[in-house]
Amino acid sequence: MGEGVPGLASAYTILFTAALIFLAILLVLCLIRAIIGPRVADRLVAVNMMGTIVMVIIAILALMLQEGYLVDICLIYAMISFLAVIVLTKVYMGVYLAKKGQTEGKEQKDGND
Amino acid sequence: MAMIEWLQFLVGAVLLLLGLGIFTVEMIGVYRFHYVLNRMHAAAMGDTLGIGFCLVGLIVMNGLNFTSLKLFLVVAFLWFSSPTSSHLIARLEVTTDTEKEKHYREVPLTELEEELSSCEEKDGMQEAKDFMTQDGSADRELRENLGQEA
Repeated sequence: MGEGVPGLASAYTILFTAALIFLAILLVLCLIRAIIGPRVADRLVAVNMMGTIVMVIIAILALMLQEGYLVDICLIYAMISFLAVIVLTKVYMGVYLAKKGQTEGKEQKDGND
Repeated sequence: MAMIEWLQFLVGAVLLLLGLGIFTVEMIGVYRFHYVLNRMHAAAMGDTLGIGFCLVGLIVMNGLNFTSLKLFLVVAFLWFSSPTSSHLIARLEVTTDTEKEKHYREVPLTELEEELSSCEEKDGMQEAKDFMTQDGSADRELRENLGQEA
């Protein structure tokens, strides 16, 4: 970025590097949030946030390295992280409801006996 | 030409830093709130406004070309996907929460209306109602009263 203008190229490099370092710190904080939970929904929210921050990192890298195709990866990353949240919520809710149905069925059976 | 490119850099940098600031606020909110449904409120901010500011800044730096269009597409996709995933996570939380009383309180609409009507009998609410229904005069009176009290 910024070739041909004195000083502009280094300004872009400094800005992008600083932004990337800052986003990396935020990513680590997100990971800590995902680990300490305490509920499943907490972890899902943290994973969603991590996806957003990684998208910004990929978009910055696309401009920094002058590789336009990295933006396609960013778009696909957005779709996959969206899909991951949908699948995880569906699976977790299905497991929970199945377990609940099982225990309730057992209680009814015990009551009838 | 150099002037325009510097201007492009500055505007893009300001937008990018604004986006990073919103990510910081999001992170503070996620650590300070104590329950998931509150935390989600803070987390949704980064999904729309944070990444929006960051990518608009990058678009300004990049200028108008095909890459910018794709960057905009990412933001547009997130406008749709973020509310959907938030909704699903909230539904998961409400379904699987076994100790609801500890976290939040469910109020039927009729109870809310009763609460509202009992509030209306109080003076403060009456003043506020006057404030809303009458024009000018009540407004001015209220302001004078407040000024005297102060």
